[in-house]
Amino acid sequence: MKMKPIRLIIMMILMMVISCDEPETVVSNYVHSDGSVTRKIEMRSAKNNFKTFQVPFDNTWTVKDSIEISAKGDTVWIKRAEKLFKNVEEINLVYKLDTGANKIASRHAGFSKRFKWFNTEFRFSETIDKQLSFGYPVRQFLNDEELKYFYSPESVKSEKEHGSDSLKFRALGDSINHKTDRWAYKNIISEWIGEFTKLTELKDGKGISVGSLKTHEDDMVKVVKKYDKTFDSLWAKGEILKEFIGETDALKYKTEADSALSYAEKHFLIDFKKYSLRIVMPGKLTGTNGFIDSSKVLLWPVDSDYFMTEPYEMWAESKMPNTWAWIVSGFFLLFVITGVIIRIIKKG
Amino acid sequence: MTMIMESEKYNKILNVLRVSKPVLDSTEDIEKEVIKRISKVKKPIFNLSEVIDSLFGWVYIGWVRRTLISASVLLVMIFIYQQGVMLKQINFLSRQIIDNREEMRFSTEQQVEKLLMEYKKPRRGFSSRSITISEKQIKELLDSVNDVKTKYKDLMDIIQNNPELKKLYDDKLIENSRTKIKL
Repeated sequence: MKMKPIRLIIMMILMMVISCDEPETVVSNYVHSDGSVTRKIEMRSAKNNFKTFQVPFDNTWTVKDSIEISAKGDTVWIKRAEKLFKNVEEINLVYKLDTGANKIASRHAGFSKRFKWFNTEFRFSETIDKQLSFGYPVRQFLNDEELKYFYSPESVKSEKEHGSDSLKFRALGDSINHKTDRWAYKNIISEWIGEFTKLTELKDGKGISVGSLKTHEDDMVKVVKKYDKTFDSLWAKGEILKEFIGETDALKYKTEADSALSYAEKHFLIDFKKYSLRIVMPGKLTGTNGFIDSSKVLLWPVDSDYFMTEPYEMWAESKMPNTWAWIVSGFFLLFVITGVIIRIIKKG
Repeated sequence: MTMIMESEKYNKILNVLRVSKPVLDSTEDIEKEVIKRISKVKKPIFNLSEVIDSLFGWVYIGWVRRTLISASVLLVMIFIYQQGVMLKQINFLSRQIIDNREEMRFSTEQQVEKLLMEYKKPRRGFSSRSITISEKQIKELLDSVNDVKTKYKDLMDIIQNNPELKKLYDDKLIENSRTKIKL
């Protein structure tokens, strides 16, 4: 079995991220107070070749094609699609039937509405389920400032790295790259351990305990890093597995170790085309984990790193005042206050 | 003797008259007349004190009064709490706003649609029919805003790259922040 070195896997993921073949896609959800959602997709490409779609749409959508010529004279082909969904279940059905570029990711939307007398609260979210079963949350590797930067849109990062505090942000970027590199190694080793122990248990009912391998996880990461360039050949010879679990078990569970590595690779190396998601909520925006622009439009970059080990939930909350409840309450208060005043007058 | 006889006679006639009922010729006419006179009697159309008493009679019932006052206080407290929390959340979010000119920049069509959507909201106080500005004009407006944004970015780049300009700019910013009225 031909196995890719982990470094190569990470490089491939990075290459996929910066790939320019797919159109630059922005999905906008205009959430309405009745739970319906007007969904708009805008795809921009330097080529008139829209083959891969990050977000599913079909012929039931209103599709418009146009071109724009920039000040520099570059032509940009634009495809816009729009559809009104009665509720989030319809969006989820579209995601379920997705055969597009990002079909591997399990995506779903949610909407809730809570009546709170004076206001009605709305919550809309889009979630992408996690890929790895045994991975580590990235927050265990990054501090708050790094986390914020990690989840920032590419343009924000780029602007900061070329702005007045460029040195600071470049150093921050380097630090994040270093730490996420370690996070990636730990994840793939952890995923391999999880799957490997499961397979060994299935083989003879006893297997190798997760705990015993977990205690050596950091050592395994070091081994993988150490033999980074020759990983492929050394793994095939069983040398690395011997270092992981000892010679006897390495011979005994070679097939399971290969299958587990293949499984870990498959879940780690996913083909996901990044895009951006926007949400416009009804009423006043009161909470979100996204980036907000001055017109209160929310933005999230959607990238495979974000849902590798944890579900990636992009949520927004808003409140809309119930005018009728305000009027009813006002009249009620007036009624009670008048009654009390009348009583005081008559008593006096 | 004759006097006594006459007196007895008189008393007898008087008793007969007292006992005997009057003979009425047209009872219906009398009835009508009575009803007519009764209906002519003016009744007060609106008695304020009666209305107040019936509407605010609850103030004299202790438990009803206490319950309604408690409900009012609770309502006011809920209102203050809800609006307070909302203001706090909005203030927090307003501090999180990023101004990223590249990523956050809408395409013209998106902007027009967003603006129109905003204007069409019923709570805005006017309906979509009252919009007299054309989409073309909005597009032109947005194009000019985008143009200004681009020029602003270029200007900021020039300022950032020139230490003298940067110092002047920073000084002006500090000066402005001193005189700024915080809303």
